[in-house]
Amino acid sequence: MFCVGAFVANAQEKPANHFVNNNVCRTCHPIIWSNFYKNPHFKSIASGKEPLESTGCQGCHGPGGLHADNAGGKPIVSFTGLPAEQVLDACLRCHSQKLSRANIRNSQHTLNGMACTSCHSVHRAQSVRALLRKPQTTLCEECHTDVRSQFAMPFKHRVEEGVMSCTDCHNPHGSSAPTWRMASHPRHVEQAMANEEPCLKCHADKRGPFVFEHLGVRVDGCETCHAPHGSPNSRLLRRPVVFTLCLECHNGGGNFGRRGNGIATQTPNHNMADPRYQNCTACHVRIHGSNADSNFLR
Amino acid sequence: MRVTTLLFLIASAAAAQVPVAPSPDLAGVRNGENVQNYNIVDSFETGYRYRTVGGSMEQYRSSVNFGDGIRLLGSSLLVTSKNGHGLLFDQITLSTQGLGNDPYESVVMRVEKNRIYSYDMNWRQNDYFNPGLVTAGGGGQHLLDTQHRMQDHNLTLFPQSNLKVFLGFSNSSQTGPGYSSIQQFDATGNIFPLFSNVHRVWREYRLGNEFRVFGIRVNWMHGWQDFKDDTGATIATSGVPGALPPMQTPGVSLNSFQSSDPNHGTNPYWRAAIFTDRKLFHVNGRFTYSGGRHAFVTDESAQGIASSLARVQNVVTLGNAERPAATGNLNLNFTPNSKLTIANSTSVYNIRTLGNSFFSEFDSATQTTSVLFYNYLGIRTVANDTDLNYQVSPLLGLMTGYHYSDRLISSQDQFTFAGTTSKSLAEQSNQLHSGEVGLRLRPWQHLSMLFSAEIGANSHPFTPLADGNYHAFSGRIQYRAKTFRLTAAANANYNANSVSLTSYASQSRTYSVSGNWIPRSRFTVDAGFNRAHTYTIGGIAYFFDQQLLQDQSSIYLSNINSIYAGLRYEIGKRIDLYAGYTRVQDLGDGRPTAAAGIGSAPALFQSVQTFPIAFQSPMARLSVKINERLRWNAGYQYYGYRSDFASLLGYRTNTGYTSLSFSF
Repeated sequence: MFCVGAFVANAQEKPANHFVNNNVCRTCHPIIWSNFYKNPHFKSIASGKEPLESTGCQGCHGPGGLHADNAGGKPIVSFTGLPAEQVLDACLRCHSQKLSRANIRNSQHTLNGMACTSCHSVHRAQSVRALLRKPQTTLCEECHTDVRSQFAMPFKHRVEEGVMSCTDCHNPHGSSAPTWRMASHPRHVEQAMANEEPCLKCHADKRGPFVFEHLGVRVDGCETCHAPHGSPNSRLLRRPVVFTLCLECHNGGGNFGRRGNGIATQTPNHNMADPRYQNCTACHVRIHGSNADSNFLR
Repeated sequence: MRVTTLLFLIASAAAAQVPVAPSPDLAGVRNGENVQNYNIVDSFETGYRYRTVGGSMEQYRSSVNFGDGIRLLGSSLLVTSKNGHGLLFDQITLSTQGLGNDPYESVVMRVEKNRIYSYDMNWRQNDYFNPGLVTAGGGGQHLLDTQHRMQDHNLTLFPQSNLKVFLGFSNSSQTGPGYSSIQQFDATGNIFPLFSNVHRVWREYRLGNEFRVFGIRVNWMHGWQDFKDDTGATIATSGVPGALPPMQTPGVSLNSFQSSDPNHGTNPYWRAAIFTDRKLFHVNGRFTYSGGRHAFVTDESAQGIASSLARVQNVVTLGNAERPAATGNLNLNFTPNSKLTIANSTSVYNIRTLGNSFFSEFDSATQTTSVLFYNYLGIRTVANDTDLNYQVSPLLGLMTGYHYSDRLISSQDQFTFAGTTSKSLAEQSNQLHSGEVGLRLRPWQHLSMLFSAEIGANSHPFTPLADGNYHAFSGRIQYRAKTFRLTAAANANYNANSVSLTSYASQSRTYSVSGNWIPRSRFTVDAGFNRAHTYTIGGIAYFFDQQLLQDQSSIYLSNINSIYAGLRYEIGKRIDLYAGYTRVQDLGDGRPTAAAGIGSAPALFQSVQTFPIAFQSPMARLSVKINERLRWNAGYQYYGYRSDFASLLGYRTNTGYTSLSFSF
């Protein structure tokens, strides 16, 4: 009896928090409520089948009983200033059920302390669909300013122009290790078409399979030769002209290549003093892979 | 709340310094109209865009490409059921860009009915112009003036349930004229420009399902992909940009050429995934198998003159290629307490490419040649990453990781000629070990710092450009308060591939600082600066006037400075003004002309060691509210591009538009 009495006394001192009807929230937050039916999170309210702790305001902000009893004076879960891992835990209660977010806890964004609210805003979003704080490109470039300057190069993928977006190639929620290169690089680049580089979604003619593969492409990926964000070269090559790029691998030196004795250099008739040999792909037209010629001439 | 929302919208719009494009200003208050159980918010902007171009039109088209004319600059539609119980749908979101005349057009739409279905559609069209090879003697070979259309349709049934069904369709096509080239009749023959009618289509059909069993979600998808490339080529007539390059071999000419090269492929695939998120651990796995197959025929016919003799050459190639690929990823995340996280990722992929190609050539000089080729390439990689995060205190977090990859590459070249078979087998393996450490600091609620370093070593890199012995550093400091954000970041990457005959080394460093400031709801500032330095040196060997030159170096040096700034000011309650400026400049290595470069390489190589350019784009935009539903907008943007070593590529473009935005 003494224990029960002590418990009751304690409970009277600190009344337990409790869930309230969502209409209680509406009383003091009418503007948020009046437009909330346009928010994707309204789905759970509309169903009418979810318990209070899994839907509406309190689904994210926790029980609002004390908050309402004290006219807003008592704390409620506020995502502003909440540690990143707690934000992630709160959001993943519902949002872990999508495959594209399956690896979010291993993503570099998460491991570097970013929270969902770094990019998303439930109440002040600019996009209805993903509830992003800002347009996607602007949002990504806010941190990745070096990429912003790459997209200002004369030749680039048309991201700033709006025809592409960062998520066409990248998965900001974390992707599985790529099927090209090594050491799980590049990160946040999403496999496409089951197990290919995302470049091939649009550049399907480069996919093959080819009887004669350009091994560097297949082994280490498109970025061996291309700078996908932007370049001074019209084919987004990593060098201003094509022949320097080719020669840097095809130098016959070292233990590179499939036989480990160097990648073949040119034959003597390739006179680099003759301009015709300075545009390698003028003859090696099928440089990404060929079905007819091992030297990619046709 | 309204003030805060407005503040946020204005800040975001200021940050979005889009090209001359739809105005981010809203025509009126977007509360929408109520029609029965639905609320409809609609807005669209239509107007006239103009442009004038001086300098290289081809370079402009390959870079910016906006044209003249009337278009629907942008539109958006949001239809929402007010109680979430619409008859056929609960919400439609639709947005478009550039429809009618712009080179970049897109439509994004979602239609959904809670718990029943969700349909997503994405349609894009890109007018793709590429000048092709324009430097080093190139005269526009491989120019492309094509249209690229892509569309994705995804239907999810029962999207909020534990049993979902996925249906999807994607289509991608590239069509239009282009130029290619071919070298006839032998290895020292001339290069001839070809007209090619580009026609490529890729399609994918998808069917999948997701269900939950024992708390684990299982997701599978089966896809069927088809690819068709029916691009043909014929000899180009006179007057094409792909003019013959200089220094032709005398006595070689091509009178007619025709090539058909249809190749059709299929690529069925399976993808299965499992994932679960528990309190202490998180597991996800992804497994794929695809069986790509390509069938091809090449039929070439050429007639001309070589060595002053009439020459006829016919080439037929046929065969097929296959690429079965299997991959697996398993990611584990263990969180024993609120401070410690251990993440482990294992991935395996196994790709084999194999195929036959029967090559038959009739040449009036060399008579008939028939060769049967068989090629095989196998790549098997196993990788494992382990990362450990420990949050010592709210102020300090530590991170460390070890990554390991093992790759085996095996290949076989085989050909049969005149009844004799020749075979060449090769196999090599390499291992990559890398380690990573990092530090996170949050000395103050508004201030965060992040520093990390990675070092790696590859025992047998496949190419000189691949990661060999490398290390990287990065750091980021961010101050973020309610109305002010300032970020400074630095990255450095170094890579060295030292080998016996030659060596390759690269270094890149990037420094950036950016910020935005919203002192008042009517005034915002957004600016940033980035400096990127790249220096690479690679050992090369080549023939120069019959001499084999070794111990030569190919150097590339780039120093890119870029700045952007945007300022938005709301004058009174009716006028919004936005002004922005972007400038990107590659200073190269500071030399004034292409000559006099680094080292003792021939002038040809010294001239391409660096490629200084400057690109700038000031813009201004004015938006005037006429009434609650109507705005008048006007915008101007200048694009100036200058290439110091290729002056013919420069252009100066004035673009602008005037438009009306309607909203209800």
